[in-house]
Amino acid sequence: MPKKMIFLLIGALLCVGMVSAAVAGSVDWKQFQGTEIRFLMNKHPFTTSIEPKVAEFEKMTGIKVNMEVFPEDQFRNKRMIELNAGGTVDGYMIMPGQAKLHYWKAGWLKPLDDYIADPALTEADWDVKDFFAGPMKGSSMDGKQIGIVINAEASLLSYRKDLFERFKVKVPDTMQELEEAAKFFTGKEVDGKKMVGITLRGKGAAATSQWVDFLYSFGGSWTNAEGKSNLASPESIAAFKFYGDLLRNYGPQGGTMLHWSESTSIFMEGKAAMIFDANVFKSLYENPKESKVAGKVGYTTIPAGPAGKVPHVSNWSLAISGTSTPERQKAAWLFIQWATNKANVLDALMAGVPAGRASAWNSPDYKSKDATPDWTAGSLKSFEIGQPQWNPPVLNVPEIRDITGLVIVDAIEGKDVAASAKKAAEEMNKKMEM
Amino acid sequence: MRTVPAETTRMKTAASKISSFVDRRQALVYPAPAVIGLFLIVVIPIGYNLYLAFTKWTIGLGDPRFIGIDNFIELFRDDRVLNGLKVMIYFSGLSLTLELVLGLLIALYFHREFKGSEIVQAIYIFPFAATPVAVALIWRIMLNPEIGVLNYLLTSIGLPGSLWISSAATVVPALVMVDVWKWTPMITLIVLAGLKSLPNDPYEAARIDGANTLQIFWYITLPLIRPVLIAALMLRSLDNLKEFDIIYTITQGGPGVASETLYLYSYKVAFGFFKAGYGSALMVVVFLIVLVFNVVMNRMRLSAQDI
Repeated sequence: MPKKMIFLLIGALLCVGMVSAAVAGSVDWKQFQGTEIRFLMNKHPFTTSIEPKVAEFEKMTGIKVNMEVFPEDQFRNKRMIELNAGGTVDGYMIMPGQAKLHYWKAGWLKPLDDYIADPALTEADWDVKDFFAGPMKGSSMDGKQIGIVINAEASLLSYRKDLFERFKVKVPDTMQELEEAAKFFTGKEVDGKKMVGITLRGKGAAATSQWVDFLYSFGGSWTNAEGKSNLASPESIAAFKFYGDLLRNYGPQGGTMLHWSESTSIFMEGKAAMIFDANVFKSLYENPKESKVAGKVGYTTIPAGPAGKVPHVSNWSLAISGTSTPERQKAAWLFIQWATNKANVLDALMAGVPAGRASAWNSPDYKSKDATPDWTAGSLKSFEIGQPQWNPPVLNVPEIRDITGLVIVDAIEGKDVAASAKKAAEEMNKKMEM
Repeated sequence: MRTVPAETTRMKTAASKISSFVDRRQALVYPAPAVIGLFLIVVIPIGYNLYLAFTKWTIGLGDPRFIGIDNFIELFRDDRVLNGLKVMIYFSGLSLTLELVLGLLIALYFHREFKGSEIVQAIYIFPFAATPVAVALIWRIMLNPEIGVLNYLLTSIGLPGSLWISSAATVVPALVMVDVWKWTPMITLIVLAGLKSLPNDPYEAARIDGANTLQIFWYITLPLIRPVLIAALMLRSLDNLKEFDIIYTITQGGPGVASETLYLYSYKVAFGFFKAGYGSALMVVVFLIVLVFNVVMNRMRLSAQDI
């Protein structure tokens, strides 16, 4: 028990330290005492990391924070329905690449620039320049900041370090090497298990966010210079085909129904030699309670295609509802500022949430405890070379993702990809006009 | 002698006025709360849905704009509507038939005295009583071809595994399997209640005339039980034609659109793509299908009762 006591003591001291640090700055943190604010949150590792600390913020400011957390699909629906009803939501998590166009047009996003510039509302040491420029730019509309980055996500090729060493296979650096490695491991008996080469998302719309890295690396794109669908260009078709063939020939059975949870489960069961998915899932792979491959995983950037390595960078942000009242909006800003301060972002990174702040990655504390430096290097490299536009540049993102997802399913099933892509491109053009 | 204050007299007259009003119009007053409730939660939403079906409206972007029958014209150009109809007919046809046949057979089996029949029946009812989303989530894991328990069991006794929900060819039968597992007990319950209420005389007469079991079933039980069977089918079809929980939880309409019923597609359009106008038009079509099916069934039930 004494150990627990010491932790409690340290925790209490840290709280006191933070409160006094805050008091020392330019912001009066008590200025909205008694205000009640409501945040809708996605069930995300960042939320898990910040949730237990909310009481600290409440004590420091006297603001009552009601955080409601939902799994992603329900979260998106609930957020939209509540905002449309003009309800009592003051702040929410948002993936700008998915929803910002729609939400901005609907007036659901409050520009934050005035708050950031106001020394009575923002501490100097919160340091807006410390955030990665790409995701911050992604969280802006018409030159206005509409969200504060809470994480940066890129997809990595994760592979079984132990098996690649044991069988002396080269870690893939090109798409061709990726296919060769996948082929090598497919059907191989390892420790009594029959392996598959690679596992990927294949479930229609859900797969587009990973497939897009192949699209870009093969030189394809969502739209061409005239703003028309480019899904049926030879490069885009090549990306559909490569992705579909890879999953059909060297992936698990039933590829067309693999969402990230199925795909990561197969990898964590030790049944796949490689997986390509978001870097945030490191916290799943490396959790020895859930994963049979913890400690055996290596990480690298996407292999190079004909157009080189072009991963996407996406991120979640915290935003303030445009429909809330000015006072609650400002109280919500204090909350966002606190949740994204250097200490909290570093804590989240320690818990495996890839941070959107340079200072967190550079902190000596993180560097000395980093058990997966290749993950850190791969993530940072991907942020550097990554493309922030990962969704189709259209108003109705979910609909175009759905149409694109049907081509991915056809590609996995080995159907005529060119015909399917042509049909999808026509649909996409039609929907964009509407 | 004390005089009654004028206030009290006035209140009394008001009260007696109300009570005489209620007495005179009982037929209006007593059902009023239920009628108002129904109006608020059934008529208004259906009316609003009907209105939206003639508008173009992306949720959050402006207000609904009247566009006449454009949404209904779009229905004929959209191949996912035809696909949705096909999947709906395949899924509902197969599952309703199986549930009705199995439900009847099991009810016949339960309709006799045997030791422990109450316990067996209680266990048998379980799937019907369980929460749809919870059991669907469990089925989703069990049906996974790589890590699911069904393929593990099949392969461990030397049979080949199936792709279950992960292949366009087997996804609908796999979903039907879950639906049948869950809902056959409901049909059984209704039919069993019907069987218990049948008169004994025709059976005695038939036995005296030397009819065998099959003949008794075919010429006596089946005609007598028909109205109950049709009623059970109606009740079940109401839910089944717009089956949502099981399909959405297990496949979300996948792989591709292989298990996307019209109802599921209308949900996706309205709440996934935020196109409330077109989604409402799709919803109207589903509504009409369920309505027509039930009017036909009701006719059949009434004529069956006339026999």
